[in-house]
Amino acid sequence: MSEKLHIAQNLEDALLFRKENDCIVMAGSSDLMVSAYQGYGALPKFDKPVLLIRNLEELIGVRRNSDGTVEIGACTTSRQIVESPDTPWVLKQAAGRMGAVALRNSATIGGNIANASPKGDTPGPLYLLDAVVNVMSLDGGRRSIPIRDFIIKFRTIDLKNDEIITSVTIPVSDKDMTYWFYHKIGTRAANAISKLTLCACAKVSWGEVKDFRIAATASGPVTNRSRDVENIAIGLKFDELAAKASEISGAFDKVISPRAMPEFRREATRRMIEFFIDKVSKNSYKKFYN
Amino acid sequence: MTIEFSLNCEHVSIDVDPTKRLLDVLRDDFGLTGVKEGCSEGECGACCVLLNGQLVTSCIIPIAGVHGQDVRTIEWVRTTRLGETIIQSYADGGAVQCGFCIPGMVMASYYLLSNNPNPTKKEIRKGISGNMCRCTGYDLIVESIYLAAKRVGELHKARG
Ligand SMILES: Cc1cc2nc3c(=O)[nH]c(=O)nc-3n(C[C@H](O)[C@H](O)[C@H](O)COP(=O)(O)OP(=O)(O)OC[C@H]3O[C@@H](n4cnc5c(N)ncnc54)[C@H](O)[C@@H]3O)c2cc1C
Ligand code: FES
Ligand code: FES
Repeated sequence: MSEKLHIAQNLEDALLFRKENDCIVMAGSSDLMVSAYQGYGALPKFDKPVLLIRNLEELIGVRRNSDGTVEIGACTTSRQIVESPDTPWVLKQAAGRMGAVALRNSATIGGNIANASPKGDTPGPLYLLDAVVNVMSLDGGRRSIPIRDFIIKFRTIDLKNDEIITSVTIPVSDKDMTYWFYHKIGTRAANAISKLTLCACAKVSWGEVKDFRIAATASGPVTNRSRDVENIAIGLKFDELAAKASEISGAFDKVISPRAMPEFRREATRRMIEFFIDKVSKNSYKKFYN
Repeated sequence: MTIEFSLNCEHVSIDVDPTKRLLDVLRDDFGLTGVKEGCSEGECGACCVLLNGQLVTSCIIPIAGVHGQDVRTIEWVRTTRLGETIIQSYADGGAVQCGFCIPGMVMASYYLLSNNPNPTKKEIRKGISGNMCRCTGYDLIVESIYLAAKRVGELHKARG
Protein backbone atom coordinates (compact mmCIF):
# COMPACT_ATOMS: atom_id res chain seq x y z
CA MET A 1 0.00 0.00 0.00
CA SER A 2 1.17 3.51 -0.72
CA GLU A 3 0.92 6.25 1.88
CA LYS A 4 -1.84 5.73 4.41
CA LEU A 5 -2.88 9.34 4.11
CA HIS A 6 -1.77 11.93 1.61
CA ILE A 7 -2.09 15.63 2.35
CA ALA A 8 -2.78 17.26 -1.01
CA GLN A 9 -0.43 20.17 -1.64
CA ASN A 10 -2.56 21.67 -4.38
CA LEU A 11 -5.34 20.60 -6.71
CA GLU A 12 -3.01 19.09 -9.28
CA ASP A 13 -1.23 17.06 -6.63
CA ALA A 14 -4.62 15.86 -5.36
CA LEU A 15 -5.74 14.82 -8.84
CA LEU A 16 -2.45 13.01 -9.43
CA PHE A 17 -2.77 11.05 -6.20
CA ARG A 18 -6.40 10.33 -7.04
CA LYS A 19 -5.41 8.98 -10.45
CA GLU A 20 -2.65 6.77 -9.12
CA ASN A 21 -4.44 5.40 -6.08
CA ASP A 22 -7.79 3.86 -5.37
CA CYS A 23 -8.45 6.20 -2.47
CA ILE A 24 -10.94 7.89 -0.19
CA VAL A 25 -11.31 11.63 -0.68
CA MET A 26 -11.52 13.37 2.69
CA ALA A 27 -12.61 16.98 3.11
CA GLY A 28 -14.00 18.17 6.46
CA SER A 29 -13.93 14.54 7.68
CA SER A 30 -17.11 14.94 9.71
CA ASP A 31 -18.72 11.92 8.10
CA LEU A 32 -15.61 9.86 7.43
CA MET A 33 -14.04 10.10 10.89
CA VAL A 34 -17.28 9.12 12.57
CA SER A 35 -17.69 6.03 10.44
CA ALA A 36 -13.99 5.11 10.79
CA TYR A 37 -14.05 5.35 14.60
CA GLN A 38 -12.87 2.13 16.24
CA GLY A 39 -13.29 2.88 19.89
CA TYR A 40 -11.48 4.76 22.60
CA GLY A 41 -7.76 5.12 21.95
CA ALA A 42 -7.80 3.18 18.68
CA LEU A 43 -6.82 4.59 15.31
CA PRO A 44 -9.66 5.23 12.87
CA LYS A 45 -9.91 2.51 10.24
CA PHE A 46 -9.89 3.21 6.53
CA ASP A 47 -9.75 0.38 4.03
CA LYS A 48 -8.07 2.52 1.37
CA PRO A 49 -5.49 5.30 1.42
CA VAL A 50 -6.96 8.68 2.32
CA LEU A 51 -6.51 11.78 0.18
CA LEU A 52 -6.93 14.84 2.39
CA ILE A 53 -8.13 17.95 0.57
CA ARG A 54 -9.51 19.91 3.53
CA ASN A 55 -7.15 22.85 3.26
CA LEU A 56 -6.87 23.26 -0.51
CA GLU A 57 -7.27 26.97 -1.15
CA GLU A 58 -8.37 26.33 -4.73
CA LEU A 59 -11.46 24.54 -3.47
CA ILE A 60 -12.54 27.04 -0.82
CA GLY A 61 -14.77 30.05 -1.25
CA VAL A 62 -17.97 31.46 -2.72
CA ARG A 63 -17.70 33.69 -5.74
CA ARG A 64 -19.93 35.31 -8.30
CA ASN A 65 -18.91 34.54 -11.87
CA SER A 66 -19.09 37.14 -14.64
CA ASP A 67 -22.20 35.43 -16.06
CA GLY A 68 -24.03 36.00 -12.78
CA THR A 69 -23.86 32.38 -11.60
CA VAL A 70 -22.50 31.67 -8.14
CA GLU A 71 -19.76 29.10 -7.70
CA ILE A 72 -19.00 27.45 -4.38
CA GLY A 73 -15.76 25.52 -3.91
CA ALA A 74 -16.19 21.92 -2.77
CA CYS A 75 -14.25 22.44 0.48
CA THR A 76 -16.18 25.54 1.51
CA THR A 77 -17.60 25.00 4.99
CA SER A 78 -21.17 25.64 6.06
CA ARG A 79 -20.06 28.69 8.02
CA GLN A 80 -18.28 30.16 5.03
CA ILE A 81 -21.39 29.54 2.93
CA VAL A 82 -23.59 31.29 5.49
CA GLU A 83 -21.22 34.25 5.78
CA SER A 84 -20.81 34.94 2.08
CA PRO A 85 -22.95 37.75 0.65
CA ASP A 86 -23.08 35.85 -2.64
CA THR A 87 -24.74 32.70 -1.29
CA PRO A 88 -28.37 32.34 -2.36
CA TRP A 89 -30.74 32.86 0.58
CA VAL A 90 -32.32 29.43 0.49
CA LEU A 91 -28.92 27.68 0.62
CA LYS A 92 -27.91 29.88 3.56
CA GLN A 93 -30.97 28.65 5.42
CA ALA A 94 -29.88 25.05 4.92
CA ALA A 95 -26.17 25.56 5.64
CA GLY A 96 -26.92 27.60 8.75
CA ARG A 97 -28.99 24.79 10.25
CA MET A 98 -26.47 22.01 9.79
CA GLY A 99 -25.33 20.52 13.08
CA ALA A 100 -24.13 23.11 15.58
CA VAL A 101 -21.46 25.83 15.51
CA ALA A 102 -18.39 23.57 15.50
CA LEU A 103 -19.77 21.18 12.90
CA ARG A 104 -20.40 24.08 10.54
CA ASN A 105 -16.69 24.89 10.71
CA SER A 106 -15.80 21.41 9.43
CA ALA A 107 -18.65 20.20 7.21
CA THR A 108 -18.10 21.03 3.54
CA ILE A 109 -20.61 21.31 0.74
CA GLY A 110 -18.66 18.81 -1.38
CA GLY A 111 -18.86 16.27 1.44
CA ASN A 112 -22.55 16.93 1.93
CA ILE A 113 -23.26 16.32 -1.75
CA ALA A 114 -20.96 13.29 -2.04
CA ASN A 115 -22.59 11.75 1.00
CA ALA A 116 -25.79 11.49 -1.07
CA SER A 117 -27.96 11.11 1.98
CA PRO A 118 -31.59 12.20 1.84
CA LYS A 119 -30.96 13.62 5.29
CA GLY A 120 -28.28 15.98 3.97
CA ASP A 121 -29.27 19.62 4.27
CA THR A 122 -27.74 21.25 1.21
CA PRO A 123 -29.04 19.04 -1.62
CA GLY A 124 -32.63 20.35 -1.22
CA PRO A 125 -31.77 23.96 -2.06
CA LEU A 126 -29.27 22.80 -4.67
CA TYR A 127 -32.01 20.81 -6.46
CA LEU A 128 -34.32 23.81 -6.19
CA LEU A 129 -31.71 26.10 -7.73
CA ASP A 130 -30.79 23.69 -10.56
CA ALA A 131 -27.23 23.51 -9.28
CA VAL A 132 -24.53 21.84 -11.33
CA VAL A 133 -21.75 19.79 -9.74
CA ASN A 134 -18.31 20.31 -11.26
CA VAL A 135 -15.83 17.47 -11.11
CA MET A 136 -12.27 17.24 -12.33
CA SER A 137 -9.69 14.59 -13.09
CA LEU A 138 -6.03 14.92 -14.01
CA ASP A 139 -5.05 16.24 -17.45
CA GLY A 140 -7.85 18.76 -17.54
CA GLY A 141 -10.70 16.27 -17.50
CA ARG A 142 -13.79 18.21 -16.41
CA ARG A 143 -17.45 17.38 -16.22
CA SER A 144 -20.42 19.44 -15.09
CA ILE A 145 -23.41 17.39 -14.02
CA PRO A 146 -26.82 18.68 -12.81
CA ILE A 147 -27.19 17.68 -9.17
CA ARG A 148 -30.35 15.67 -9.88
CA ASP A 149 -28.26 13.41 -12.14
CA PHE A 150 -25.11 13.52 -10.03
CA ILE A 151 -26.88 12.03 -7.02
CA ILE A 152 -27.98 8.75 -8.54
CA LYS A 153 -29.59 7.18 -5.54
CA PHE A 154 -29.08 6.77 -1.82
CA ARG A 155 -25.30 6.93 -1.17
CA THR A 156 -24.46 6.65 -4.87
CA ILE A 157 -23.05 9.49 -6.95
CA ASP A 158 -21.84 9.86 -10.52
CA LEU A 159 -18.16 10.24 -9.62
CA LYS A 160 -15.40 8.25 -11.28
CA ASN A 161 -12.50 6.78 -9.36
CA ASP A 162 -10.06 9.41 -10.59
CA GLU A 163 -12.36 12.40 -10.09
CA ILE A 164 -12.82 14.95 -7.33
CA ILE A 165 -15.74 17.32 -6.85
CA THR A 166 -14.24 20.77 -7.26
CA SER A 167 -17.22 23.09 -7.01
CA VAL A 168 -20.92 23.57 -7.50
CA THR A 169 -22.39 26.22 -9.78
CA ILE A 170 -25.72 27.84 -9.01
CA PRO A 171 -27.50 29.55 -11.89
CA VAL A 172 -30.50 30.97 -9.99
CA SER A 173 -30.07 34.03 -7.81
CA ASP A 174 -32.35 35.58 -5.20
CA LYS A 175 -33.54 38.25 -7.64
CA ASP A 176 -34.74 35.63 -10.11
CA MET A 177 -37.66 34.70 -7.89
CA THR A 178 -40.29 36.73 -6.08
CA TYR A 179 -41.03 34.34 -3.22
CA TRP A 180 -38.80 31.99 -1.25
CA PHE A 181 -39.66 29.36 1.32
CA TYR A 182 -37.54 27.15 3.60
CA HIS A 183 -38.95 24.91 6.30
CA LYS A 184 -36.99 22.21 8.14
CA ILE A 185 -38.69 19.85 10.50
CA GLY A 186 -36.05 18.36 12.78
CA THR A 187 -36.11 16.97 16.26
CA ARG A 188 -34.34 19.75 18.15
CA ALA A 189 -32.62 23.05 17.63
CA ALA A 190 -29.00 21.90 17.31
CA ASN A 191 -27.56 18.87 15.58
CA ALA A 192 -31.04 18.29 14.25
CA ILE A 193 -30.83 15.71 11.54
CA SER A 194 -33.51 16.72 9.14
CA LYS A 195 -36.65 14.65 9.20
CA LEU A 196 -38.23 16.63 6.46
CA THR A 197 -37.35 19.81 4.64
CA LEU A 198 -39.29 21.68 2.05
CA CYS A 199 -37.84 24.48 0.02
CA ALA A 200 -39.78 26.30 -2.62
CA CYS A 201 -39.77 29.44 -4.71
CA ALA A 202 -41.97 31.24 -7.18
CA LYS A 203 -41.58 34.03 -9.64
CA VAL A 204 -44.57 36.22 -10.33
CA SER A 205 -44.57 39.09 -12.74
CA TRP A 206 -47.29 40.99 -14.56
CA GLY A 207 -49.86 38.99 -12.63
CA GLU A 208 -48.65 35.65 -13.90
CA VAL A 209 -46.74 32.78 -12.31
CA LYS A 210 -43.58 32.63 -14.40
CA ASP A 211 -41.75 30.01 -12.39
CA PHE A 212 -42.63 27.72 -9.52
CA ARG A 213 -40.46 25.12 -7.80
CA ILE A 214 -40.68 22.77 -4.86
CA ALA A 215 -38.02 20.42 -3.50
CA ALA A 216 -38.59 18.07 -0.58
CA THR A 217 -35.70 16.37 1.17
CA ALA A 218 -35.70 13.40 3.52
CA SER A 219 -38.87 12.46 1.73
CA GLY A 220 -37.44 9.57 -0.21
CA PRO A 221 -34.16 8.04 -1.25
CA VAL A 222 -33.19 11.33 -2.91
CA THR A 223 -34.51 14.87 -2.97
CA ASN A 224 -37.83 15.09 -4.81
CA ARG A 225 -38.58 17.66 -7.46
CA SER A 226 -40.90 17.35 -10.41
CA ARG A 227 -41.13 19.77 -13.30
CA ASP A 228 -44.45 18.18 -14.29
CA VAL A 229 -45.94 19.15 -10.96
CA GLU A 230 -44.41 22.62 -11.08
CA ASN A 231 -45.87 23.11 -14.56
CA ILE A 232 -49.36 22.96 -13.06
CA ALA A 233 -48.59 26.33 -11.47
CA ILE A 234 -46.45 27.87 -14.16
CA GLY A 235 -48.46 30.02 -16.54
CA LEU A 236 -51.37 30.46 -14.14
CA LYS A 237 -52.70 33.91 -13.45
CA PHE A 238 -51.58 34.96 -9.98
CA ASP A 239 -55.15 34.95 -8.65
CA GLU A 240 -55.76 31.43 -9.96
CA LEU A 241 -52.93 29.93 -7.93
CA ALA A 242 -54.70 29.56 -4.57
CA ALA A 243 -57.44 27.43 -6.11
CA LYS A 244 -54.81 25.01 -7.46
CA ALA A 245 -53.08 24.44 -4.11
CA SER A 246 -54.56 21.04 -3.36
CA GLU A 247 -54.11 19.85 -6.93
CA ILE A 248 -50.43 20.79 -6.78
CA SER A 249 -49.83 19.26 -3.36
CA GLY A 250 -51.70 16.12 -4.43
CA ALA A 251 -49.64 15.80 -7.61
CA PHE A 252 -46.42 16.27 -5.64
CA ASP A 253 -47.54 13.59 -3.23
CA LYS A 254 -47.70 11.16 -6.15
CA VAL A 255 -44.05 11.72 -7.09
CA ILE A 256 -42.87 10.83 -3.59
CA SER A 257 -41.98 7.20 -3.30
CA PRO A 258 -44.69 5.80 -1.03
CA ARG A 259 -42.39 3.22 0.48
CA ALA A 260 -39.82 5.80 1.48
CA MET A 261 -42.12 8.04 3.41
CA PRO A 262 -44.70 7.34 6.07
CA GLU A 263 -48.08 8.97 5.80
CA PHE A 264 -47.41 11.67 8.43
CA ARG A 265 -44.45 12.97 6.45
CA ARG A 266 -46.45 13.03 3.25
CA GLU A 267 -49.20 14.86 5.07
CA ALA A 268 -46.66 17.37 6.41
CA THR A 269 -45.22 17.84 2.93
CA ARG A 270 -48.68 18.44 1.41
CA ARG A 271 -49.48 20.95 4.13
CA MET A 272 -46.21 22.83 3.71
CA ILE A 273 -46.83 23.11 -0.04
CA GLU A 274 -50.33 24.44 0.54
CA PHE A 275 -49.03 26.83 3.19
CA PHE A 276 -46.45 28.16 0.73
CA ILE A 277 -49.05 28.65 -1.99
CA ASP A 278 -51.36 30.37 0.48
CA LYS A 279 -48.64 32.80 1.53
CA VAL A 280 -47.68 33.50 -2.06
CA SER A 281 -51.32 34.09 -3.04
CA LYS A 282 -51.74 36.56 -0.23
CA ASN A 283 -48.42 38.17 -1.05
CA SER A 284 -47.83 38.14 2.69
CA TYR A 285 -44.05 37.74 2.66
CA LYS A 286 -41.18 37.41 0.23
CA LYS A 287 -39.05 35.05 2.22
CA PHE A 288 -40.46 32.60 4.71
CA TYR A 289 -38.44 30.33 7.01
CA ASN A 290 -39.07 28.54 10.27
CA MET B 1 4.32 11.04 9.00
CA THR B 2 5.75 14.28 10.33
CA ILE B 3 3.05 16.80 11.11
CA GLU B 4 3.96 20.38 11.90
CA PHE B 5 1.59 22.97 13.20
CA SER B 6 1.24 25.82 15.60
CA LEU B 7 -0.04 24.64 18.96
CA ASN B 8 -1.03 27.30 21.45
CA CYS B 9 1.25 29.75 19.62
CA GLU B 10 4.26 27.44 19.57
CA HIS B 11 5.60 25.68 16.49
CA VAL B 12 5.43 21.93 17.08
CA SER B 13 6.45 18.95 15.02
CA ILE B 14 5.46 15.37 15.66
CA ASP B 15 5.97 12.03 14.00
CA VAL B 16 2.62 10.35 14.19
CA ASP B 17 0.09 8.23 12.33
CA PRO B 18 -1.63 10.82 10.12
CA THR B 19 -5.09 9.40 10.78
CA LYS B 20 -4.76 9.69 14.55
CA ARG B 21 -7.43 12.00 15.88
CA LEU B 22 -6.39 15.53 16.79
CA LEU B 23 -8.09 14.87 20.15
CA ASP B 24 -5.81 11.91 20.88
CA VAL B 25 -2.65 13.70 19.78
CA LEU B 26 -3.44 16.66 22.02
CA ARG B 27 -4.13 14.44 25.00
CA ASP B 28 -1.60 11.60 24.55
CA ASP B 29 1.28 13.25 22.77
CA PHE B 30 1.10 16.78 24.15
CA GLY B 31 -0.49 16.10 27.54
CA LEU B 32 -3.20 18.69 26.94
CA THR B 33 -5.87 16.92 28.93
CA GLY B 34 -8.18 19.92 29.11
CA VAL B 35 -9.51 18.60 25.81
CA LYS B 36 -12.07 15.96 26.80
CA GLU B 37 -13.54 12.99 24.99
CA GLY B 38 -17.27 12.60 25.41
CA CYS B 39 -19.21 11.18 22.51
CA SER B 40 -16.35 10.61 20.02
CA GLU B 41 -18.60 11.60 17.13
CA GLY B 42 -18.85 15.35 16.96
CA GLU B 43 -22.07 15.66 18.95
CA CYS B 44 -21.14 16.74 22.48
CA GLY B 45 -18.52 19.48 22.13
CA ALA B 46 -16.30 18.26 24.99
CA CYS B 47 -13.33 18.08 22.62
CA CYS B 48 -13.69 21.60 21.15
CA VAL B 49 -10.56 23.47 20.09
CA LEU B 50 -9.91 26.45 17.84
CA LEU B 51 -8.54 25.61 14.41
CA ASN B 52 -7.39 28.75 12.62
CA GLY B 53 -9.59 30.64 15.04
CA GLN B 54 -12.69 28.56 14.29
CA LEU B 55 -14.37 26.31 16.82
CA VAL B 56 -14.15 22.64 15.79
CA THR B 57 -14.58 19.27 17.48
CA SER B 58 -11.17 17.59 17.61
CA CYS B 59 -12.58 14.05 17.72
CA ILE B 60 -13.57 14.15 14.05
CA ILE B 61 -10.36 15.66 12.67
CA PRO B 62 -7.32 13.55 11.80
CA ILE B 63 -4.04 15.10 12.89
CA ALA B 64 -3.06 15.44 9.22
CA GLY B 65 -5.87 17.99 8.90
CA VAL B 66 -3.98 20.50 11.03
CA HIS B 67 -0.64 20.24 9.23
CA GLY B 68 0.53 23.83 8.69
CA GLN B 69 -2.45 25.21 10.64
CA ASP B 70 -3.03 26.97 13.95
CA VAL B 71 -4.53 25.04 16.87
CA ARG B 72 -5.45 26.49 20.25
CA THR B 73 -6.82 24.64 23.21
CA ILE B 74 -8.36 25.54 26.55
CA GLU B 75 -4.80 25.64 27.93
CA TRP B 76 -4.19 28.73 25.79
CA VAL B 77 -7.64 30.27 26.09
CA ARG B 78 -7.42 30.33 29.87
CA THR B 79 -4.33 32.56 29.65
CA THR B 80 -6.18 35.23 27.66
CA ARG B 81 -8.08 38.11 29.26
CA LEU B 82 -11.34 36.96 27.68
CA GLY B 83 -10.74 33.34 28.67
CA GLU B 84 -9.94 34.33 32.24
CA THR B 85 -13.07 36.44 32.46
CA ILE B 86 -15.22 33.60 31.16
CA ILE B 87 -13.75 31.09 33.60
CA GLN B 88 -14.14 33.48 36.54
CA SER B 89 -17.74 34.16 35.52
CA TYR B 90 -18.48 30.43 35.34
CA ALA B 91 -17.12 30.09 38.88
CA ASP B 92 -18.99 33.13 40.21
CA GLY B 93 -22.17 32.12 38.43
CA GLY B 94 -22.15 28.61 39.85
CA ALA B 95 -22.10 27.15 36.34
CA VAL B 96 -19.91 24.16 37.10
CA GLN B 97 -20.98 20.85 38.57
CA CYS B 98 -18.91 17.79 37.62
CA GLY B 99 -16.90 19.97 35.23
CA PHE B 100 -16.45 17.49 32.42
CA CYS B 101 -18.15 19.61 29.78
CA ILE B 102 -16.67 22.88 31.00
CA PRO B 103 -13.44 23.12 28.94
CA GLY B 104 -15.50 22.61 25.78
CA MET B 105 -18.15 25.04 27.04
CA VAL B 106 -15.49 27.66 27.73
CA MET B 107 -14.08 27.16 24.23
CA ALA B 108 -17.54 27.67 22.72
CA SER B 109 -18.11 30.69 24.99
CA TYR B 110 -14.77 32.15 23.95
CA TYR B 111 -15.58 31.64 20.27
CA LEU B 112 -19.01 33.18 20.73
CA LEU B 113 -17.81 36.25 22.63
CA SER B 114 -14.86 36.81 20.27
CA ASN B 115 -17.30 37.06 17.38
CA ASN B 116 -20.23 38.62 19.21
CA PRO B 117 -19.20 40.50 22.35
CA ASN B 118 -22.78 41.45 23.19
CA PRO B 119 -24.91 38.36 22.70
CA THR B 120 -28.54 37.99 23.74
CA LYS B 121 -29.37 34.97 25.89
CA LYS B 122 -30.88 33.34 22.83
CA GLU B 123 -27.63 33.86 20.93
CA ILE B 124 -25.73 32.39 23.86
CA ARG B 125 -27.93 29.30 23.80
CA LYS B 126 -27.29 28.96 20.07
CA GLY B 127 -23.55 29.46 20.59
CA ILE B 128 -23.32 26.56 23.04
CA SER B 129 -25.98 24.41 21.39
CA GLY B 130 -23.33 21.94 20.25
CA ASN B 131 -22.04 21.48 23.80
CA MET B 132 -23.78 19.03 26.03
CA CYS B 133 -23.86 19.18 29.79
CA ARG B 134 -25.24 16.28 31.76
CA CYS B 135 -25.37 18.13 35.07
CA THR B 136 -26.43 21.76 35.08
CA GLY B 137 -29.48 22.14 32.90
CA TYR B 138 -27.60 24.94 31.09
CA ASP B 139 -29.34 27.93 32.73
CA LEU B 140 -26.45 28.84 35.00
CA ILE B 141 -24.00 28.39 32.15
CA VAL B 142 -26.01 30.79 29.99
CA GLU B 143 -26.21 33.30 32.85
CA SER B 144 -22.47 33.02 33.43
CA ILE B 145 -21.64 33.67 29.79
CA TYR B 146 -23.97 36.66 29.92
CA LEU B 147 -22.11 37.85 33.01
CA ALA B 148 -18.77 37.35 31.26
CA ALA B 149 -19.96 39.45 28.31
CA LYS B 150 -20.95 42.28 30.66
CA ARG B 151 -17.64 42.09 32.49
CA VAL B 152 -15.68 42.23 29.26
CA GLY B 153 -17.79 45.20 28.15
CA GLU B 154 -16.99 46.99 31.41
CA LEU B 155 -13.29 46.25 31.01
CA HIS B 156 -13.37 47.84 27.57
CA LYS B 157 -15.28 50.86 28.90
CA ALA B 158 -12.83 51.31 31.75
CA ARG B 159 -9.96 51.25 29.29
CA GLY B 160 -11.77 53.79 27.10
C1 LIG C 1 -22.32 15.90 14.90
C2 LIG C 1 -22.69 15.87 13.44
C3 LIG C 1 -23.83 16.54 13.03
C4 LIG C 1 -24.20 16.55 11.68
N1 LIG C 1 -25.30 17.26 11.30
C5 LIG C 1 -25.62 17.35 10.00
C6 LIG C 1 -26.75 18.12 9.58
O1 LIG C 1 -27.45 18.73 10.38
N2 LIG C 1 -27.03 18.16 8.26
C7 LIG C 1 -26.28 17.50 7.33
O2 LIG C 1 -26.58 17.59 6.15
N3 LIG C 1 -25.21 16.75 7.70
C8 LIG C 1 -24.87 16.66 9.00
N4 LIG C 1 -23.79 15.91 9.39
C9 LIG C 1 -23.06 15.13 8.37
C10 LIG C 1 -21.82 15.82 7.77
O3 LIG C 1 -21.28 16.76 8.64
C11 LIG C 1 -22.12 16.50 6.45
O4 LIG C 1 -22.60 15.58 5.52
C12 LIG C 1 -20.89 17.23 5.86
O5 LIG C 1 -21.30 18.15 4.88
C13 LIG C 1 -19.86 16.30 5.27
O6 LIG C 1 -18.80 17.07 4.78
P1 LIG C 1 -17.28 16.73 5.13
O7 LIG C 1 -16.46 17.64 4.35
O8 LIG C 1 -17.08 16.73 6.58
O9 LIG C 1 -17.24 15.24 4.57
P2 LIG C 1 -16.15 14.09 4.67
O10 LIG C 1 -16.40 13.30 5.90
O11 LIG C 1 -14.79 14.60 4.44
O12 LIG C 1 -16.61 13.24 3.40
C14 LIG C 1 -17.93 12.75 3.26
C15 LIG C 1 -18.04 11.97 1.95
O13 LIG C 1 -17.88 12.82 0.84
C16 LIG C 1 -16.75 12.44 0.04
N5 LIG C 1 -16.15 13.70 -0.40
C17 LIG C 1 -15.93 14.80 0.38
N6 LIG C 1 -15.45 15.82 -0.37
C18 LIG C 1 -15.34 15.34 -1.63
C19 LIG C 1 -14.89 15.94 -2.86
N7 LIG C 1 -14.50 17.22 -2.95
N8 LIG C 1 -14.89 15.15 -3.98
C20 LIG C 1 -15.33 13.87 -3.91
N9 LIG C 1 -15.77 13.28 -2.78
C21 LIG C 1 -15.78 14.00 -1.65
C22 LIG C 1 -15.93 11.56 0.93
O14 LIG C 1 -15.15 10.65 0.20
C23 LIG C 1 -16.98 10.89 1.79
O15 LIG C 1 -17.55 9.83 1.09
C24 LIG C 1 -23.40 15.87 10.73
C25 LIG C 1 -22.24 15.18 11.14
C26 LIG C 1 -21.88 15.20 12.48
C27 LIG C 1 -20.64 14.49 12.90
S1 FES D 1 -15.98 13.99 21.92
FE1 FES D 1 -15.83 15.27 20.24
S2 FES D 1 -17.77 16.15 20.12
FE2 FES D 1 -18.01 14.68 21.67
S1 FES E 1 -20.98 20.12 34.60
FE1 FES E 1 -21.11 17.97 34.43
S2 FES E 1 -21.37 17.70 32.30
FE2 FES E 1 -21.52 19.81 32.53
